Amino acid sequence: MIGFILADIRRHKAGTIAILLLVAFAVALAVSVTLQERALRLGSARAANAFDLVIGAAGSETQLVLSSVFLQAAPLPLMDGAVLQRLAADPRVAFAAPIGFGDSFSGYPLVGTSTALVAHLSPQLQDGASFRQEGDAVIGSAVDLTLGAVIKPMHGTAEEGGHTHTGLAYAVVGRMKPTGTPWDRAILVPIQAVWELHGMGHTETDHSEPAHAEGDQEHSADATAAVDEDWAEHAAGLPAVLVKPKTISDAYKLRQDYRRDTTLAVFPGEVLTRLYATLGDAKVLLLAVAVGTQILIAAALLLVTIMHVGQRRRQIGALRAFGAPRTVVFRIVWLQLFAISLAGILLGFGLGYLVSEIIGGIVSRQNGFTMPVAFDRQDIAFAASVTAFVAVLAIVPAVLAYRQSPAAALKG
Amino acid sequence: MLSLTLKDITVSYSGLVAPVLSVPRLQVDAGESIAVTGASGSGKSTFVNLISGLEPVRTGQVEWSGTDLVRLAEHRRDRWRGEHVGLVMQDFHLFPGLSALDNVLLPARLAAQASAAVKRRARDLLAEMGLDRPGQAVETMSRGEMQRVAIARALVRAPGVVIADEPTASLDRESGQVIADVLICLAGAAGATLIVVSHDPGLIARLPRRITLESGQIAHDSRAVTP
Repeated sequence: MIGFILADIRRHKAGTIAILLLVAFAVALAVSVTLQERALRLGSARAANAFDLVIGAAGSETQLVLSSVFLQAAPLPLMDGAVLQRLAADPRVAFAAPIGFGDSFSGYPLVGTSTALVAHLSPQLQDGASFRQEGDAVIGSAVDLTLGAVIKPMHGTAEEGGHTHTGLAYAVVGRMKPTGTPWDRAILVPIQAVWELHGMGHTETDHSEPAHAEGDQEHSADATAAVDEDWAEHAAGLPAVLVKPKTISDAYKLRQDYRRDTTLAVFPGEVLTRLYATLGDAKVLLLAVAVGTQILIAAALLLVTIMHVGQRRRQIGALRAFGAPRTVVFRIVWLQLFAISLAGILLGFGLGYLVSEIIGGIVSRQNGFTMPVAFDRQDIAFAASVTAFVAVLAIVPAVLAYRQSPAAALKG
Repeated sequence: MLSLTLKDITVSYSGLVAPVLSVPRLQVDAGESIAVTGASGSGKSTFVNLISGLEPVRTGQVEWSGTDLVRLAEHRRDRWRGEHVGLVMQDFHLFPGLSALDNVLLPARLAAQASAAVKRRARDLLAEMGLDRPGQAVETMSRGEMQRVAIARALVRAPGVVIADEPTASLDRESGQVIADVLICLAGAAGATLIVVSHDPGLIARLPRRITLESGQIAHDSRAVTP
């Protein structure tokens, strides 16, 4: 029976490939939607892991998380530097790291921060050391620069028509280990240097707006000045502070204390959960489209196979005439369609995985955070349900073949 | 070899006034070789379908050596046909993509009866018919060769009866003669009852008994007029 089926498949190569591809594309569509959604969920959750509590100026919670955790370029309002000072002195805080962004270099975001955040993200550096002077920079593992490379920061991005700061050039002194977060594509520099470049340095304390907002006057910083992280002495306006609370209870209290008129405190995980709900809705929509496609393809498949059985009437009649039992004819037709569809399902899973890996790779390269594409039990259940569906679908042409009168079939 | 007894057979289709086949009685002895002739629409195909069990009959008797096909369910008729009938048809009904040997063995394989002896017999039959390349794909063969493969397929399970429906109709005269030789010779050697439906005068003339159908009825039976 197998030999007969294989010969028939070889004889109808084009039709077989068409059915196989139809099934494969339908399955790949659903698989890639599921894998992508899961990878995005997992990847973003992992990326947010290092960020317990983020405090910024009052505004959008989502934007605060997207900018501070995922380093998405967006103009955030600045908080008063006193917030950082209070947080640094708070006994409930293990450390508070300023985060100042807005500059870039070669497409990589430049983030002004402290050595505490460098140590938090990468307790041991892959190469070099953390910054000691205002002209030092530590790069993420995915930044294509070498130690000693010179970085001339650009205000904003090249796409936005940003201009290069002339007041300071950083030199790469260290490289972090991979974190699987967007921070792998970041260039970390001392926050003091960022403040000074933007006219918010020691001599001009308590600015709450960067100098560029007021005009094009260029400021400079002393690249050899030692990094000073005594925030009590000086802290200028900044868009966000990453806070590592000592306990969970402290985290909740801090969040409550800083959710006020002028500041906003968020658990990135909490914001992501809300985003996931939105993503979930999008996934439902995409899956509905995928299921709709699958139904159309199933209908097309059914039509094609019924036509195929019609074209094979004489062959089926001959099989019966030569004594093949009806059950054998049923099994031949069922097994042939089922085998082709099963191959299509397997190919679809492979294609879906491949597409997800490619998209995940692109997202990783563009945004820095790893998209872990992996199958889980849910996919096994999906594979089983699709397999069961085609097994049932294949019964239709098999029954048609089973019910054909051999004498009538032989007449053609 | 099997004998055939037909009694009170009437096959009618809705919309037709007269039955397409009406045979009050017909006896074919075991090992006999007969030709069934008649014009188009005389009931020859219905006769073949009836005696081979391809078409069900509700009344009368279609008895092959004690087995009445009228009383058999469809699946049992299929099994009986597979075991006892070798069918040869005008259009060969070979399966492209399979070799000559695989085509010969296909019915036996589908019935899970392809024993070593059957396989050996398949090779022997092909060799006897002058087909010395059993692995050759059937779609590359001439029509005469294809019909020889079809005859080998009909004989491979040593059936009690061989029913051939216009076996030479789609062949040229020379190939038709070869096929007639092979069919009569091998069916005889196998001891099978041979029933050939044909328009081919050369083939008809070589069979000792001839039945002529007209409008679904036996108009002439050479045995009946020559006791």
